[in-house]
Amino acid sequence: MGTAVEGTVRGMFTCEVCDLSSPFTYYGQKPPNTRAIVLLEECFVMKDPFSPDKERFLILGSKCSLCNKDVCVGTDCSLFYTKRFCLPCVRQHLDQFPQQVQSELAKKKPVQKTS
Amino acid sequence: MSDDRGDSRAWDWDSPQCRAQLDEIFFRPHDYIQAGSPEHKEFWAFFERFQRFKAKRDMFGSRAANKRDPHESKKKRSDSQAVDLGLPKEYDARYRINVSVCTRDVEERLGVSEHRQRSTSSGPGKQEVADCRLALLHFLDFTQKQSFGKLAKLKREQKSLPIFQYRERIVELVRTHSVVVVAGDTGCGKSTQVPQYLLSAGFSHIACTQPRRIACISLAKRVSFESLNQYGSKVGYQIRFESSRTPVTKLLFLTEGLLLRQIQQDPSLSQYQVVIVDEVHERHLHCDFLLGVLRSLLAMRPDLRLILMSATINIKLFSSYFGHAPVLQVPGRLFPIQVIYQPIPPEEQSSRSEKLDPRPYLRVLQGIDQRYPPEERGDLLLFLSGVAEISTIMEACQTYATHTRRWIVLPLHSTLSLAQQDKVFDIAPPGVRKCIISTNIAETSVTIDGVRFVVDSGKVKEMSFDPKAKMQRLQEFWISRASSEQRKGRAGRTGPGVCYRLYAESDYEAFAPYPVPEIHRVALDSLVLQMKSMDLGDPRSFPFIDPPPASSIQTAMTYLREQGALDARGELTTIGRLLAQLPVDVVIGKMLVLGSLFNLVEPVLTVAAALSVQSPFLRSAQHNPDCSTARQPLHSNQGDPFTLLNTFNSWVQVKGERGSGSRKWCRRRGLEEQRLYEMVNMRRQFKELLRSHGLVETEESSVSVQDRSQRRERLSERQRLHQLKREHDLQENSRRKVLRLEEDPENAGSSGSDEEGGTGRGKKRKEDTGSNLDIQEVKFKLRHNVNELQEAAAAGQDLSSWQQALLKLVLCRGLYPQLALPDEHNATRKDSEQVFHTRNKQGVVIHPTSVFASDPEVLHVPEHESSEFGADKGQSNRHQLLAFVTLLETNKPYLSNCVRVPALQALLLVANSVDSNADCTRLVVDGWLELSVSDAEAALRVLSSALTLRTEWERLLQAQLSQGGPGSTAGLGLAGPKPSRRDLEKLAEGLVRFLLYTEVSYSLRRLTALQSQNLYIGPQQDSGLPDSQNLNPLFPGMKTEPDPIKGGLRVSSYFTYNCLSDSKDLYSECLRTFWTCPHCDLHMPLTPLERMQHEATCRPAGEQQPEQDAESGKAESSSSSSSLTRLYHCDVCNKDLTLTSTEILKHKRQHLQ
Repeated sequence: MGTAVEGTVRGMFTCEVCDLSSPFTYYGQKPPNTRAIVLLEECFVMKDPFSPDKERFLILGSKCSLCNKDVCVGTDCSLFYTKRFCLPCVRQHLDQFPQQVQSELAKKKPVQKTS
Repeated sequence: MSDDRGDSRAWDWDSPQCRAQLDEIFFRPHDYIQAGSPEHKEFWAFFERFQRFKAKRDMFGSRAANKRDPHESKKKRSDSQAVDLGLPKEYDARYRINVSVCTRDVEERLGVSEHRQRSTSSGPGKQEVADCRLALLHFLDFTQKQSFGKLAKLKREQKSLPIFQYRERIVELVRTHSVVVVAGDTGCGKSTQVPQYLLSAGFSHIACTQPRRIACISLAKRVSFESLNQYGSKVGYQIRFESSRTPVTKLLFLTEGLLLRQIQQDPSLSQYQVVIVDEVHERHLHCDFLLGVLRSLLAMRPDLRLILMSATINIKLFSSYFGHAPVLQVPGRLFPIQVIYQPIPPEEQSSRSEKLDPRPYLRVLQGIDQRYPPEERGDLLLFLSGVAEISTIMEACQTYATHTRRWIVLPLHSTLSLAQQDKVFDIAPPGVRKCIISTNIAETSVTIDGVRFVVDSGKVKEMSFDPKAKMQRLQEFWISRASSEQRKGRAGRTGPGVCYRLYAESDYEAFAPYPVPEIHRVALDSLVLQMKSMDLGDPRSFPFIDPPPASSIQTAMTYLREQGALDARGELTTIGRLLAQLPVDVVIGKMLVLGSLFNLVEPVLTVAAALSVQSPFLRSAQHNPDCSTARQPLHSNQGDPFTLLNTFNSWVQVKGERGSGSRKWCRRRGLEEQRLYEMVNMRRQFKELLRSHGLVETEESSVSVQDRSQRRERLSERQRLHQLKREHDLQENSRRKVLRLEEDPENAGSSGSDEEGGTGRGKKRKEDTGSNLDIQEVKFKLRHNVNELQEAAAAGQDLSSWQQALLKLVLCRGLYPQLALPDEHNATRKDSEQVFHTRNKQGVVIHPTSVFASDPEVLHVPEHESSEFGADKGQSNRHQLLAFVTLLETNKPYLSNCVRVPALQALLLVANSVDSNADCTRLVVDGWLELSVSDAEAALRVLSSALTLRTEWERLLQAQLSQGGPGSTAGLGLAGPKPSRRDLEKLAEGLVRFLLYTEVSYSLRRLTALQSQNLYIGPQQDSGLPDSQNLNPLFPGMKTEPDPIKGGLRVSSYFTYNCLSDSKDLYSECLRTFWTCPHCDLHMPLTPLERMQHEATCRPAGEQQPEQDAESGKAESSSSSSSLTRLYHCDVCNKDLTLTSTEILKHKRQHLQ
């Protein structure tokens, strides 16, 4: 079916917490063809592989605003609260996060790397 | 937050107008989400949920949260370390979203009012825009989470596969070795993962073969999904009629047969860098052959990488075949399975003729009901050997199921309709288990999840080929240990399971370790033909991984020689080369080639296609009176191929008139429409093949006739269809349906005449509940032009009796030597006891699905026409033979797909060997059929016209075959003139006249073994002497010579005169009678043979052709290159002359006068 319009792969994104890795096609705050949409952090982005629409993007992850590690957007690895924090950093500074975030995290067991 | 609700009273979120105004801001034509798109619809649905959620939260949640917040955050803050993250004090879900949407510019342009006056401005106010924006942000966040969730799950699953940890090792091995064997059991993930590992390691142009077409499609789908290229074509598949391959395809799943065809076209297989052969342990014919071909190809392509993937069965065999290639063994992922041996007690064992005793099977069902609570899910898979066994056990299980209401019984075998087969994937309601009763199709081809219990009968029915009887045989065997383990494994795919083996452990120990490879079981005709066309040398010395018995190859060679595909030296003939290109049985290929000669292409294409797919007639519908009545008009008592032809043509008409209404039409007649779709595809492939070989003309006419608007219409229609197909493909992973317990037993059963009959019962079915789109119809329309097909069908629909006769002859010559003779006593037997004989097998019967099973009288010689007494006993001109497509022995040897032909005429026109006595009143065909003609004059006349017709037929066929086309003799500069239309018409007319209007009474019988042995007089003492009377000098052109084995005179490649041991050769001279040739003025006493020869070469004055043409015309197929003239030594003039036979006759006459 037709020609596949995939952006050129810029590199491999690998989450430093869970090891998830996938090629990304864009890094920054303004993925192509997103018009009014702006990302509030610099993200590793790829074309959404689960959408037939070529212009749907998928944010894979970004850098933790504290430790600067690449981390995926999975809720076991990081959270976004005005900025990106990897969960290890969140745990370190847990008291600075609002109650909602704290109780949310309390329910979670510490993540171990899936191998 | 949006608490001043009072303000927005005039604003109605549910009003389409209001929404449209917000669409103007957020979902403009170039925005990320556009108004009218599916996402846009999803957004508004999301919006409603979001608003409801907000309202709820505002009412209950916010109070509590607000209260606690200030205290606690203050307290914690004091303990905090040096770093201040600068996070906002008050929690807002908005802060959790990393996306923003800037619409200020649009808002300003649209003049969104800061303080909207209730009455004057109806546009959205700041608040509404903010609400909508917030919802949009949450929506975007939600969709991101959804997609990322899928991605993470996928990656997680990939990592958890047993093969994952071998990823680098595999890539490393492939880099360093030209052949690698990867062995792993079910569930290790080799089929989906290995190709991906290679892709991501940078390999491209990867071909991965599969034994089954369906696996090609499903693997391509799965792997493209997993490699995040679901909507691209990096990963594709190619099967016989379908391909998703594009120039960017890097990984292609294809069938073994197709890869072989590609090697046939491109012997170095330069289009691939890596070839993966999956499931090599299944040992299919094509796979074994492919391995042999690839092994020799590796010498030519040292850069090629070959990976064999197998279950952990017999790995050494594969490794050592490829010079001890490295083996990587991967553990499978199966849950523990408990094996329980429950051998069937002797009193419940059935003998061969009896029905299977269901008690052992019912005991297992009861046991499960007693031991496992119904809340514990898990279905049962029961392996039986065949369809009859399935229906026996099903009946019993169904009774039990109706009684307990804890089971839904479903059959599974390949002759079920696809919809029926599909049901095994549906889900049973809570508290009910599925009981799937299957053939070995569920051992490898069909994988059903959720099976917890397996019952293994230990039996399988396997096809084997009996070269002596030239018959396929479907026999029941004990399975192998490998199959037994495979069946057991089906219980442990989704959780721990139980396997009940209905045999003793000692039986298991005694099983063969592996199943017999296909190459040892089946007829090798097509394989040998393909090997010949690939220039692989002598098939007997080909280095197969496990060579088939030499006798098997010999049988195939002999067969191919009989069929005219190989010459006496075992080399491909012109027609053989063409047949090797056609992906069909030799007999079907022959039909196609023969049909292309006459104006019969369309019907022959249809028949050839119909005979190459499974029958569209569902067995289950046979006993349904409604179906039988509806089918009646399709039946032809000429034979099953004609019924198939009628069916296809009527279906095409319905399709043209009613489109997808054909589905109902088929249902009413108990037809599996899928088979008709397959036929139409195959038909087209055949046509293209014939066209590429110059055997049918390219049709420009129908295309050019279309005017521009029609073309445009067709184009937009195609676009619409493509769109439909895309949509269908997208939603294909739709959820499985839940089965109903209440379904009437026969509805779920194999005897199900369900869904049809217009009772409305079928209304609940899939097609009505699911999408109403008939995807097959869409694909059909995309691939075929209905109008063109309709024209073709119309051409085939009303065949004149002439065309019908010609078509029969073409089929018969294609099918030859697959002929059967009705037993002479059939007329006095019951319909169900009609017996037939083939050359190699006596006492075969007609398959109940055949038209002749229900209407055998049309095969009987009418009583009043055959003389009952004396020498004339059995004399008639109405004897018929059956030409058949398959002879398959199950519980009886059955003939399927038969067509009836007039015996004498058909035999004389197609048989490879016709032997006669001196006056040609006794003819023996192929050493087993004896025809006795009472009237010598008539016998001679018939034989003579047959000879003439065959010569001409052969000449025109050779001329047709030498017409261009790739791989034909054209490249060698041998392309002769195209057979003229006039000649063809004349031949067709001659053949039809001969078939329909030959009036000669004869008796027909099969010779006994003893008679066959002492058939010939054998070589005569004086045969070498030039003055022998037998060495008739009148027939130089025919290269008449004494037959070294049979005796008598070999007149043509297929006709030997006067070689039968009862011949009156002593008196042959007395048979000379005066005769005048109607064409030339010859008048002299001639023996029957001399007369025939003269007739064969003498043409009416008006038809005299240029000498050269006439020569090639007279040449027999076997001696086509030899010139008709020969050196003739005239004893009277004592001169050596180069003359044709006619010229010699004339010359001799000079001396007589």
